[in-house]
Amino acid sequence: MSPLANLPMIRLLVAKDWDLFQRQLAAYVGAGILALALIGSAKPWTFYLGSLLLLVVLVAAACFAISTSLLTERKERTLGFVMSLPVTPLDFYLAKIAGNLVTFGVPFVVLVGGTAGVILSTPVPDGLLVWSLLVFGHVLLAHAVSLSVAMAVESEGWNTFAMIASMVLVNPFIMMLGQIPAIAGPMRGEAIVWSAEAIAILSTQVLLSAAVIGFTGWVHCRKRAFY
Amino acid sequence: MTAAFTLSGVCKRYPAFALEDVDLALPEGEIMGLVGVNGAGKSTLLRLLGGLALPDRGTIEVLGHPMPAQQVQAKREIGLASEDMRLYGSQTLRWHMDLVRAAYPRWDEAYAGELLRRFDLRAAQPLKAFSHGQRVKALLLLNLARRPRLLLLDEPTTGLDPVARAEVLEALSEVLRDAARSVLFSSHDTHDIERLADRITFLHGGRVIDARDTAAFLDDWRRIVCHGALPASVGQWDGVASVRANGSLSELRVRGAEAVVGLLRAAGADVRSVDPMNLEEIFVATVRGGGKH
Amino acid sequence: MPVGDGLFLSASDGRPMYQQIVDQVAAKVAAGDWPAGHALPSIRELASASQVSVITVKRAYLELERAGLIVTRHGKGSFVAETQELPKALLRADLEGRLREVARAAARLGVGIDELKRLLVAAHDDQASHTAARPEEATR
Repeated sequence: MSPLANLPMIRLLVAKDWDLFQRQLAAYVGAGILALALIGSAKPWTFYLGSLLLLVVLVAAACFAISTSLLTERKERTLGFVMSLPVTPLDFYLAKIAGNLVTFGVPFVVLVGGTAGVILSTPVPDGLLVWSLLVFGHVLLAHAVSLSVAMAVESEGWNTFAMIASMVLVNPFIMMLGQIPAIAGPMRGEAIVWSAEAIAILSTQVLLSAAVIGFTGWVHCRKRAFY
Repeated sequence: MTAAFTLSGVCKRYPAFALEDVDLALPEGEIMGLVGVNGAGKSTLLRLLGGLALPDRGTIEVLGHPMPAQQVQAKREIGLASEDMRLYGSQTLRWHMDLVRAAYPRWDEAYAGELLRRFDLRAAQPLKAFSHGQRVKALLLLNLARRPRLLLLDEPTTGLDPVARAEVLEALSEVLRDAARSVLFSSHDTHDIERLADRITFLHGGRVIDARDTAAFLDDWRRIVCHGALPASVGQWDGVASVRANGSLSELRVRGAEAVVGLLRAAGADVRSVDPMNLEEIFVATVRGGGKH
Repeated sequence: MPVGDGLFLSASDGRPMYQQIVDQVAAKVAAGDWPAGHALPSIRELASASQVSVITVKRAYLELERAGLIVTRHGKGSFVAETQELPKALLRADLEGRLREVARAAARLGVGIDELKRLLVAAHDDQASHTAARPEEATR
């Protein structure tokens, strides 16, 4: 056994979480595909409705993944049972991150890929790609923040606040993108323009997400009680 | 001989409660009963041993493994069931059994099947359809069938009907057969502890106020009834935990009865009876007599 | 349903648990359930089957050994004693049990130790005068 992590147990914990909410997850993926279909039919109203649905699905999937795997476990007092199994807090943390990679990451990647495919293969202007990837970047960051708060803070109120606030901020974020000419400009054209501003924003989102998750792990492994 | 567990100088503070300076050990193969009122620190002690909480100070070793450094190795040989530990309501007992089975190499499927029958539980039923007693028995099954070397049970019989309680005690006494298996259990019911425990620990206000083998507890304490006037200082005598008087009759609860009986006779009292006390009475006397010994 | 070597112990019996074990083992030997040389259940076995602590059974076995009813061979377990003295040991265990009962009855009545001694001496003298009158019974 590696001194750092206990792989078979991590796998077992992830499989357990998967058992617990596979059905709901399938529903989210289904709704996501419907949203993509709406976007893909490329009429102005379906495009608008589809994008909206897509955002809703992503936000819901993110919140669901967090609340089922962390908050419910604490609230229903199953956490003690899980932590009494032969695992360390680090194993538990890694299992939750890995589990979230599946429960949030899989629909996220499907939706990002689907969106890119729809934009590139339909009459929707290809320039929209950069803009949509930035919006997805925001959802990724918001999820990372919510996940971290769920892991580190026990208060349900703060958790709900973190989830809703970080996701609602997508609105001002979209407005802000509209104010940046280097990003708003090429949106309606067919050319995909990776401006310095766009690259800076996207890399900040990705690095910040990773940093937040890493910091949470550090905090989690210093906790004094697990039940 | 290895110890099932050793706690040295262990402190654990919470905002409203603190466990202070606990030094306690259990030799392998023995059963220890924890007696204490609600909030005495029984659950905290069991959680510390089960690796669900870390002490603020002091060291903990379980089956030779220092905690938390080797908690995975230790937890593989521990069974921990507490009153506030819940299972997944949406999943069946079979699902839980498979989960625990995958985590513990010593899982005994035949024994699990026997316990299922004996506890009258249905493996295919989701946990949310279980009654309180069935949930308690399900958690106990998941712990017993992994054949742990140290079984930590927090109030295993609380809230059970008499039949379920008898089933649980029967399963618990089966563990006695194996000299390599140890048990630490807390209970409101001192009769269970008096009967099954080799050693008894009294916890009060986060401190261990007494810890000895069961026979020593029961042999040490006596209730003395005597007739006649007693000196006013009798309450201060060594070993006297409580004195109650009703007219010319007095009742004393004492530790070390022979010496006290001698003193009473010397003082001119007529000692009518010297009777053993049960564990509950001993516990109450110890708590009330607080620190006089 | 647990069967076999479990003893029937009860918390509502006035005697301590170990004493109940001593008395029941003595009764089984006296009744011939457990003949001389019969292997007793191991301490853990009996504790588990009777649902009492190991320490309680250990104590009972020690008492039985002291009374000469059983012998313990290291590493092999305990056996009902083969000795010729067995009936005597049984009678002695019986006597001790009766004396404990007497002590309890005296305590309930509030009879102190001095009075109890007087009563015992009187009973003893009474018995002695009977046997003096009928010597054939005393040697039986």
